[in-house]
Order: sequence, then C-alpha cells, then structure tokens
Amino acid sequence: MFSLSDTPLWPAAFRAVRMFVLSLLAALLLLAPARAQSVEDLVRQLPEGSFSDRAAVVSQLAATGDARLVSLLEALAAGDLNVVEETGAVVTLSGRGDPLDATDALTGEGVGEVAKASVERIRVNNSLRRAVRAAIGQLTVMSPNRNTRLSAAGAMFQAADPENIPLLDEAIAQEDDDGVRRAMEEARAASMLRTEASADDFAAAVDVIAARGGRASLGILTSALPAASDEARPAIEAGIRAIENRLALLNVAQNVWYGISLGSVLLLAAIGLAITFGVMGVINMAHGEMVMIGAYTTFVVQNVIRVSFPGLFDWSLAIALPAAFLVTGLIGIAIERGIIRWLYGRPLETLLATWGLSLIIQQAVRSIFGASNREVGNPSWMSGSFDFYGIAITWNRFWIVLFALAVFAILLVVMKRTSLGLQMRAVTQNRRMASSMGIRTPWVDALTFGLGSGIAGLAGVALSQIDNVSPNLGQGYIIDSFMVVVFGGVGNLWGTLVGALTLGVVNKFLEPYAGAVLAKIFVLVFIILFIQKRPRGLFALKGRAVEA
Amino acid sequence: MITQRLLNALGGKVLWVAAILLVIAVLVPASNLLLPVGHPLRVPNYMVALLGKYLTYAMLALALDLVWGYVGILSLGHGAFFALGGYAMGMYLMRQIGDRGVYANPNLPDFMVFLNWSELPWYWWGFGNFWFAMLMVMVVPGLLAFVFGWFAFRSRVTGVYLSIITQAMTYALMLSFFRNDMGFGGNNGLTDFKDILGHPVQASATRATLFAVTAIALAAALLVCSAITRSKLGKVMVAVRDAESRTRFIGYRPEYVKLFAFVVSAITAGIAGALYVPQVGIINPGEFAPANSIEVVVWTAIGGRGTLYGPIIGAVLVNYAKTWFTGAYPELWLFALGGLFVAVTLFLPKGIVGTVGDWRTRWRDRRAISAAKIAPSGTDDSSDPPKVVRARSADPAAPLGASKPQPAE
Amino acid sequence: MPRTDTMLYLDGVSVAFDGFRAINNLSLVLDKGEMRAIIGPNGAGKTTMMDIITGKTRPDTGEVFFDGTIDLTRHDEADIAMLGIGRKFQKPTVFESHTVEDNLLLALKGKRSIFPTLFHRRSTLEEDRIGEILAVIRLEERRHDLAENLSHGQKQWLEIGMLLAQDPKLLLVDEPVAGMTDAETAETARLLRDIAKTHSVIVVEHDMHFVRELDVKVTCLHEGSVLSEGSLDFVSADERVVEVYLGR
Repeated sequence: MFSLSDTPLWPAAFRAVRMFVLSLLAALLLLAPARAQSVEDLVRQLPEGSFSDRAAVVSQLAATGDARLVSLLEALAAGDLNVVEETGAVVTLSGRGDPLDATDALTGEGVGEVAKASVERIRVNNSLRRAVRAAIGQLTVMSPNRNTRLSAAGAMFQAADPENIPLLDEAIAQEDDDGVRRAMEEARAASMLRTEASADDFAAAVDVIAARGGRASLGILTSALPAASDEARPAIEAGIRAIENRLALLNVAQNVWYGISLGSVLLLAAIGLAITFGVMGVINMAHGEMVMIGAYTTFVVQNVIRVSFPGLFDWSLAIALPAAFLVTGLIGIAIERGIIRWLYGRPLETLLATWGLSLIIQQAVRSIFGASNREVGNPSWMSGSFDFYGIAITWNRFWIVLFALAVFAILLVVMKRTSLGLQMRAVTQNRRMASSMGIRTPWVDALTFGLGSGIAGLAGVALSQIDNVSPNLGQGYIIDSFMVVVFGGVGNLWGTLVGALTLGVVNKFLEPYAGAVLAKIFVLVFIILFIQKRPRGLFALKGRAVEA
Repeated sequence: MITQRLLNALGGKVLWVAAILLVIAVLVPASNLLLPVGHPLRVPNYMVALLGKYLTYAMLALALDLVWGYVGILSLGHGAFFALGGYAMGMYLMRQIGDRGVYANPNLPDFMVFLNWSELPWYWWGFGNFWFAMLMVMVVPGLLAFVFGWFAFRSRVTGVYLSIITQAMTYALMLSFFRNDMGFGGNNGLTDFKDILGHPVQASATRATLFAVTAIALAAALLVCSAITRSKLGKVMVAVRDAESRTRFIGYRPEYVKLFAFVVSAITAGIAGALYVPQVGIINPGEFAPANSIEVVVWTAIGGRGTLYGPIIGAVLVNYAKTWFTGAYPELWLFALGGLFVAVTLFLPKGIVGTVGDWRTRWRDRRAISAAKIAPSGTDDSSDPPKVVRARSADPAAPLGASKPQPAE
Repeated sequence: MPRTDTMLYLDGVSVAFDGFRAINNLSLVLDKGEMRAIIGPNGAGKTTMMDIITGKTRPDTGEVFFDGTIDLTRHDEADIAMLGIGRKFQKPTVFESHTVEDNLLLALKGKRSIFPTLFHRRSTLEEDRIGEILAVIRLEERRHDLAENLSHGQKQWLEIGMLLAQDPKLLLVDEPVAGMTDAETAETARLLRDIAKTHSVIVVEHDMHFVRELDVKVTCLHEGSVLSEGSLDFVSADERVVEVYLGR
C-alpha cells in the first residue's frame, strides 16, 4: 500500500491551468460577435493605404479589444501576414512550395490552399511596427480585463522579450492591481535579464525573479547565467540558490504532505488492529477483509442511492459510514463469539483461524460481487484539488487525512472517557483482576472486537475513495497495518498514530530516491531491524502485565 | 533399557514413513517407465510430476514442523527459504539453456538480453556448475535464516512478533524479486528450462529420476530431523518451546537452540524448493507470497505438528484436495482451505496424527484399566509401568496443541 | 571480611522500575557453605533480588559479586547458570511435556552448547546420578511420567531435583514449601539442610515454621533493603520486623 499511487498532482495542476485559460478564451470569444463585423472590416483594410493610414487602422483595431487580434498583429509585425488578392482575405501561410496552406489570420481557421502567386505579403515598416506593438500592449497588458492582463503578463514572462520592456513599463505605471503588477514586474525582470542592462537594473531584476521562485524562474536565471557579466554573476547565483532552497523546501513540504496522506491511510487501516491486538492480544488476520467489507458496503449504499435517491449522491459517504460500521462491527462480534473466544491465550492459533476466515470472506465477496473492481464514485466535494502555498492537495486525500484524525480522536475519547473504554483498559492490564471486579470480560471482548472491526469498516469507506474496490483490497493493507502496530507499540493508540505517520512520511521521502517498491522494501527491512532493537515497539507498555 | 525402547518406538513411526517413502521412490518411477501406456497400474507422467510436487511440499512442511512443532517458532516466512532454494536451482537450469534461448545468447539468459544487459551480474557467477548451485541451494536459505535468526532470537523477539516479522521478511523478498533490476527475471521468474545435468527436463526418465530423488531426500530429511529431535538437543528444543526462560536458568542459550533449528529448517526448505523447480518447470516471485507461507502452516497443523511425519501426511492430503477442488469446484477451494484453517485450530489442535494418537491412548487406557481390574498385580516394579504411562511418555514431544501456554515464572 | 572469601556479595544495590524502587541500597553477604533464610512481606524485593543475582534484571547501581571475584552484572542468565548459580522459582517451573527423567537429564551438569548437546550420549555416570537424585526427591516411581502430571508438591521437588542435577555452588530457592503439606514441608527442610552441607543456599520463604526448622541465620527484607539480620529469634524479636509484619 505504500505503493498506492497518489494522483499525480502536477499534471492535475497543469490541467487546471489549461482549463482556466480555455474558459478565459471562450469568454472573450463570446464577447466578440457584437463587434465582429467591424473587426473583420478593419482587418480587411489592413493591406490598404499608406503606412500611416494603416497605423490608424491598427490603433482602431486595438480599440476593439478583441483578443483574437493579438496573434494577427504579432504576425503582422513579423511580416507573416498576407492578403489573398482575389478575396481580400487576410491570411497566414504555412507549408512549402506551391500552393501553400492558408489560415485565416483572425479566426485561425484553415481556408484551403492558395497559389503563391495569388497572395501578396502585407508589408510593414518600423513606424507601423511600433503602432502594432502598442496595439498589442493595449489589447493585452492594458486590457481592462484583469485576467487578460494577468495572462498577458504571464505570456511575456515566458517570452522574456526585451522589446516588451517599454510596454511593460507603461503598463506597470498605470496598473492598480497588485497581483497583476507583480506579474508584470516579473515579466519585465525576465526581459531585463536578456538585455545589456546596468548592473543595478540587472541585480534588481534578479531579485524580482528570485522572489518569484518556481522552476520557470530557476530556468530563466540559469539561462541568464552564461551570458551574464562578471559583476552580475554573483547576484544570479545567489538568486538561483535562493530559488533552489525554496524549491527544496517546497519539495519537502510536498513529500511531508504525501507522507501524511499515506500515513493517514495506514492509520485508518491499522487503528482497528491496534485495538484488537493491543487490548485483546488477538491477531486478526481478517482485519483487511473488514476494511474490504466496509468498501463494499459503500458500493452497495451508492448503488441503492443511484437507483432510488439520485439526489442524495453527495451524501452517500455520510450514509455509508454508519452502515459500514454496523455491518463490519456485527461481523466482528460474530467472529469473536464464534471463533476467537475459543482461542484466547493461543495467539498463533488465532492468527491461523482468522487467516482462514479471511480466505472465506474474500471468496464470499468474490462470489457475490465478482472478482473485478467495483466502481465507487467520488462525491463532488471529494473530487478535484486545491493549491496550498504551492502544494497541490487533492480533496479526497485532504478529507481522508481529516477523517483519519477524527476517527483517532473519537477513539481516544472512547478509550479514555467512556465506561467501555475503562473496562477495555482494565481488561488489557489485568484480565483476571478485571473479571473478579465484576467486569464481564467476555462482553468486553466481544465489544472490543466489534469496535476494532467497525473501525476497519470505516477505513473501508475512506479507502473506497482512493483504491480499487476488489476482493483483494484488504490483503494489500494487512501486512502494512501490522507493521504500523508493531512499530508503534502494542496497546498504545498514540504509538499507532506516530507509527503510521512516521512510516508514511519515511516511505514518501524514500520514494524519489529509491522508487516506490524499493522504498517499501527499505521500510520493511527497517522495521524488521527496529523490532530487534525494541521488541515492544516505540511506545511500549511497561510492567509485568505485558510480559505474561 | 526401557528408555531405549521408548525412543525406538518414537523413531519407529518415523522409520516406517521413511521406509514407505523409499518404496514409493522405487515403485512410482518403475511403474511409470516400465509399464506400457494405458496399463491400469501405470502412473501417468503428469501424476509423477504432481506427486513429486506434493513431496517437495511435504518436505517444506517437515521443515516448518522442526521449528514450529519443536521450538515453538511459528514462521510465516518459510516459503521464502523454499523459494530461495528454488531460485538457486532455477539459476543453474537457466545457465544450462545456453544459446538455445529465444535470443540465442550463449552467455546471458533471455530476460537479461531483453533488459539490454551486457554481462552476467556477479551473483550469477558459478551457477553454471551443478555442485556450486547445489551448495547455494543450502547456503543461501541457511545464511538468510542465520542472519535473520541471529538478530531476532538474540533480541528475544518471540511469539506473534516473530511471526509477523517473518511474514514481513518474505513480503520484502517478494517485492524485491518482482523488480526487474534484481536480475532474477522479475515478474516472470525463471522458466523454459531445457536440461538438468545434461538430461532434458521434460523427458519421462528425468522426471522419474527427479521423483525418486525427491522421495529419497524427503526420507533422509525425515530421518535427520527425527535424529535431531530425539537427541538431547531435541529435548532442549522442546524445553525452549514450553518454558524458554527456564532453560536459560539452567544454562542453555535458547537463542542458539532456536538458531540451530531455524537454520536446519531453512536449509531443508531450500532443498525442497530446489527439487520443486525442475519438476514444475518454473520459479517466480509468487512463491514468496505471504499467503503461500501461511498455507504451509495449515499443512503442518492439519497433519499434526511436533510429529515430523504428520506434516508430511498433511501436506500431501491438503495439496491433493487442492488439486481435486481446483479441477472440480475451483470457486469452492478457498472456502475449503479457509474452513480447514478454522476447523483445525478449533477442533483438531493436535492435527490428524495427534488426534488419532489420542484415540489410541484412550483406547489403551480403557484396556489397561479393565486389565488391571481383572488381574491386579500390585507390583511397583518400575521397569514395568502401566501401559498408559508408556503410551503417553512415548511422545515426549507430543503435539501440545498449545493448550496451556506456560509462562516461565 | 574480604570480598574474595564470600560466596555472594551484594553492596549498595538499587533498581527501580518506572520510578518504583524495588531494591534500595541493598547489601548482603553470604559466606561459602552458608545457608541463609530470607523473609519479608510481599513487595519487600525478595524475588527482584533473585532476579538480579541470576542476571534477569540488571541493577541500576551497586556491586554484585559471586564467588568473591565474578561480577555478575556482566553476565546473562545462561552464563550465570553455568558459573554455578541454580534457581528454583516461586511458581514451580518444570518442563511439563518432558518426563521426570528428561527434566533431570536436561538439568544435569554438562556442556550446554549446541553440538555437544546434539551428539550427547547418556553415560552410565549420568544414569547413576539421575537415579540418585530421583531417590533423593522420591520420584523414582514417577520417572517416566510427564512432569505435567505431577502434583504441585512433586513439581516443587522435581525442581529441587533439577537444582541438584545442576550441582551449582549456590542455590537460590524461592518459596520451596508453598502448597506443601506439613509432612512434605518437614521433609523439604530436611532435604535442604542436607544440601546445605555441601552447597551455599539462599532460601526465600514465608512459612516461619519452615524457617525455624532450617535453623539458620535469617535476613529480613523490607522495601528493598535489609531491615534486620541474625538468628530467627533475634529477628522476630526486632520491633521493626514486628511492625512491618503486623502493619502499623
């Protein structure tokens, strides 16, 4: 389970950005039709008249604020714009030889092939170019739309074109949104690094980039390094180091998060085991199957909801939680009454009997639900992700961490504050004494086992959100759960918490260096060695009672 | 001397089983090779391989019994030693393929060519030699058991903790062997064997020989284990099982006793694995799966632990049942196996052999009592104790069924 | 008396479990060939003292010397047993699934390492010794019975027999007559006095009649240190001892 693949967050973040940009463009396109006629007319006027007439056309175009014009104008400035003589259509050309493929410069749609001879290049001179550049600026960094300005600044940061500097200066001067201004300053700084600017300007630019951080900034600084003058070099190097440190820190934070996420899954899977093992000394090898039954309960609940109450789907997990707790808890009590109570004081036999039971349960589930994975849906609030200081966090992982901690807290309260918990602890410490003081130990045993199994069921509900729901679901968790309990120390819930989180984090830190499988092997070997050093785990109960 | 006779009686059953194994070692290959195909008494080819496989499993169960039944170490990782022995044999068999592989590379097994490896990794050196491979069949599992046991037993890791870390051990090994980089064929393991000692593995004469070797090896292992358990050390082993710290206070070192048994057991398991591989024609990381090792425990338990020959019976019975079930009702097999686990622990804690032994004791008991009623001898000649006593003490290491865990102090 | 002449020498020994001082600055000297009875209420530290001597528990501070020169704190249980300290536990612990005879055989003095044990063949000398011990502990007729089938008192005796088989220089005997009949108790006292002729012995016991029958120097422990020491009459006349036993 250490190998459980986390949803890769970077691609997810990337997708989110792309979605954002696409919707932005879509919104802009929706605005377009009202003025479409005039924009297209103006474009058709581009090839005609003197350079100054055409400069006027360009500024009129800029006034329309149509975002599609940006690429058209860029093509114009680059001298890539052509006019088809017959139709007067303004196109860009691609391909080789004759005829060429023509694309409408405004809409970006292909308009078929044109013969080389039938098109004429739209010529530009420097004054027209200036007008074009100003127009582009007006369309983008000076657009009234904040998001347009922001993405324009972002694009300019990527391009890092020194020619953008005057435009950016102008835009920065009149910008009143802090976020956008910062983006523009960063774009300006990135462009500045490509110039022969003075050492002071250069250092200031490096500072801005270094403050921005991120891999792109690192790339810019690194590429600026070879060409930089000697006096500028130390500043750049310092900037690179600063960014790298920050990136490393972010990386650490990200790994810690992944580790906590994995640890919370381990905690969920192990905590029920910690109770049955710690309190009763019972090795329940069917614990994983209880988790699996919890997951299948979620599947059944969701199916009922889909068929009968589709409106409740977002509540399906909330409904599945008590259902899973009850189902697995009752099964647990049945197991305790039917099998385990005959085997007290014989832990190895209990281990074997419950293993047999796990085989039976697995096969039963396979017979009922089939061997293949079952689809358990994520409610809307479990889908997607959010960004937390540069760390992308998926909602399902986030909720599972919270859920695991909540289960842990509730369990602590149950153990410390309720009479059941008191009796359980009494039985752990001295079974005979507890029984002679009037505690009905068989009853406590049954309820304890039921509680442990019920918590496994809760874990199953959570795991159904991130793992495949199949009859083998539980098997993947059982060894790791035991490792957590043994590592943390038997009979101590805090030990289980620390054990689970430690193993989760250690595993995730090893993964980048060793790969998931090797990391897991290392962790196993580490625990095997650790048990030699501290046979009773991190937080062992002390005293004579444990020795027996 | 009565003790001598008692010990002989204990050895007697083991000797019988060993003798039966030796007879099988002759009869099965003979019937397979000498009788014409279609003869009602002929053991068909597939059956020879199947029986051979059962016997290697029996040897694995025997190995487990030595540590579980006699020293109380429930290893949930014995499949690892079996698999390591199997891999050592598999590596020899891979080297024998030579240039007959798909890629026809005389030096490298196919999967290495596939991985673009240019030369044989160092840990494959020497496996072209049969004697070296056979040495490794014993050394590798033995060494792993030694290192693992050295740490575990010295730190006094016992009971379920030990069981759990043995399980973690085999699990870690499984994950390792699944990796292609390990150089053991990854997922697919080692297969497509051609020759063993120059004889084609598939030929019926080779298969018959392998079967005979397996049966003889099992008989030998049984006798060795029996000799160990009947020695004074064997008694110390049982003492360690029942009251570990008490043995310390009379000067024994339980950790070394355990280590000895664990290493011998691992070597036996390794040999079983080595015999298994040429007969089934493949070894892959699945053999390390924790579930496999636990299954061995149920063979041992059902046969009767602490009896040595019980696990042999258990392994053959359970595996025969598995073959039959997976043929007739495949979906019911796991129910049956799971049910076996539960039933054995609840109703047959001493296994088949132990339970049958109990019946016999009870029967003799009754007879002895009625005999005593008829002819009260009234003698206290200690050289002739009542039969019941002899029957009980005939099995000093009788399966306890762990009915009474006995704390040392 | 110089340390080198003693059989057992404890000086300033303390040990605490989780803050609870089980043994507190305990000093005790046992001469060679001496038998000593140790009494004290529950929790006085008697068993913990035995644990320290036999290497089961390590003291936090203090010196523990055996036979004058051997520092016991540097050895573990098996070492100490081989050095010549035998122990009988409070709760009789014999190897239940072995016969009486095999229990003695395992305890019999001899090499304990793996291979000598594996290839061990019983000599007539050992055979005779087992016979002798069986006679002493009066279990000849139960020779081939499993130890689990013995009565409580017989298990106690078997354990004493195992001690004899070990032939240690020092015997630590923890509550040897618990659960015995009066006749058995008297018999045990006779047996121990017999043993004491050739061995050093420490007996921990609650039963005052038994202690009186032993007729040896008595040490009374309380809260982990020595409260009073001397003849039984002297100790039982000590006011502090009376106070401890009768409660305040």
